[in-house]
Amino acid sequence: MDLVQHGRSAATADLPLPLPATVIGRAGRKGVAVSGRATRDAVRADLAEVFRRDYQRVVGVAARVLGSRDEAEDVAQEVFLAFGRSAVPAGEAPGWLSVAAAHTALNLIRSGRRRASREETVAATAEVVAPDVAETVLTREDRSRVRAALAGLPRKHAVALVLRHSGLSYAEVAAALDMSPGSVGTTVRRAEAALRKELIRHASSD
Amino acid sequence: MRHPTEGVLRRLLDEPAGVSEPDRAHVAGCPVCLGGLAAARQDADAVGTALQPAGEGTVDLPAAWHRLSTALPAGGVEPAPVPARARRARAALRRPVVAALAFGVVLAGAGTAAANDWLPVFRTEQLQPVGLDTADLVALPDLSAYGDVEVTGGDGPQQVPDAAAAAAQSGLDVPAVTTLPRGVTGEPDYQVVGELGATFTFSADRAARAAAESGEPAPPAPAGLDGSQVRLVAGPGVAAIWGQSAGVPALVVGRAVAPTAYSSSGVPFETMRDYLLSLPGLPDDVADQLRTFAADGSTLPLPVPSDRVTTESAEVDGVPATVLETRDQALAAVLWVEDGVVTVVAGSLGPDEVLTVAEDLD
Repeated sequence: MDLVQHGRSAATADLPLPLPATVIGRAGRKGVAVSGRATRDAVRADLAEVFRRDYQRVVGVAARVLGSRDEAEDVAQEVFLAFGRSAVPAGEAPGWLSVAAAHTALNLIRSGRRRASREETVAATAEVVAPDVAETVLTREDRSRVRAALAGLPRKHAVALVLRHSGLSYAEVAAALDMSPGSVGTTVRRAEAALRKELIRHASSD
Repeated sequence: MRHPTEGVLRRLLDEPAGVSEPDRAHVAGCPVCLGGLAAARQDADAVGTALQPAGEGTVDLPAAWHRLSTALPAGGVEPAPVPARARRARAALRRPVVAALAFGVVLAGAGTAAANDWLPVFRTEQLQPVGLDTADLVALPDLSAYGDVEVTGGDGPQQVPDAAAAAAQSGLDVPAVTTLPRGVTGEPDYQVVGELGATFTFSADRAARAAAESGEPAPPAPAGLDGSQVRLVAGPGVAAIWGQSAGVPALVVGRAVAPTAYSSSGVPFETMRDYLLSLPGLPDDVADQLRTFAADGSTLPLPVPSDRVTTESAEVDGVPATVLETRDQALAAVLWVEDGVVTVVAGSLGPDEVLTVAEDLD
């Protein structure tokens, strides 16, 4: 049971590029108008262009982590707010945005995971688990379990997995996470094996 | 030939062109590798399905852009000057119970700096990132120009697995946050900073030389000061840090044994402190640190860069506290000292939010 780490790994240190300090904290508080706060920060000129090009994909990355598009859009907004006030080189924007989306979404689940586990102890699960996992028929519970396990993986493994499943190439994942392209396959493979084990373990114990 | 790694097999599923020709040829004829490839495919498919988000796959781009635009700053507006608050900030520095956190600066590792120069190096030229550091909790003023300094301890921030380990290692109660502010999620990282101690032996000669460099003669030293020793001790400290994707803490709750001065021989610390403060050429930051340094450990001697931070008085559970906010309003902190222990709540939050967290601490 090495899937769920209760202590945090050095997760946030994995982000390859620094975000401006003033940004995420403000953006992280939903409903707080950012205008009027930290107004000296200029918004980068290419924001609209990058937004048009990458927003859908950033939502997709967050949605793979969260399983919910509404929450994923919240994450994407936060990420673009940060990006808008950053000096990330334009060429590195797609990778940066994807990594930031994955990190932000994973941070969200970590808190959601605790809530889910409390709910599980209260409510009896009505859903019937499919007897044959090989058919990859997944219950809602399976999905939430996969997400909890995802949040418990070493952060770099989880981000690499999510980026790969969001359609980034091995070279793009490697560049975004500052890994060698050769190690991306190994990292993704291990993450998948760990998550699959979690699915099977629960299916067979029912 | 050796079997290709599981990473190569995994890539073969997605990007066969990225796998070398000899590897591909090997896998095609190797039952072991074909088995591994099949297992990799099953796992990849199962996980891919599990990660597939529910619902529609398209976003409303114009609506999303509108939402982002309203959240962006209007841009270009300088924050209004706050002269009244600045005056109060300077006054606050002189109050006995001013606990001050170094905002807008990142200590370049108090441990290392302390060992070399006995002064945390403030990288004031660095405007971004505005940060705070666990090492900020444990710092001492640099007096090396005025005598001999012998530093002990000062182990820089060290990661520990959980609150229990942090408590065991530091001997401090680790404050528990009952309700996290909005936007702060997850479990914190725990860090421990070791005790930093320094024994200072006052040298009248060196103090006179240091003063002379400023072009003014040093005032006469009180009797018995030359050769007097004082021991300054700060820490240990603990901090619980809630990170963010940005790597800048969303919330930091720290606690440290407040710096304390011990007179070991010669004149009382207060006499030495007041004399040092009277010397011409004493660097401002050292003066600020010294000035707030009481012999009873009731202060945290960290200078507040008042051009970057505003301060206000407040109370946390009846104890006088100081609220700090960076002028760009990106960070706020509240600090208070009780029974020789300083507690800090800081983060990329508003002053009201750090106060709420502070009042809810267990």
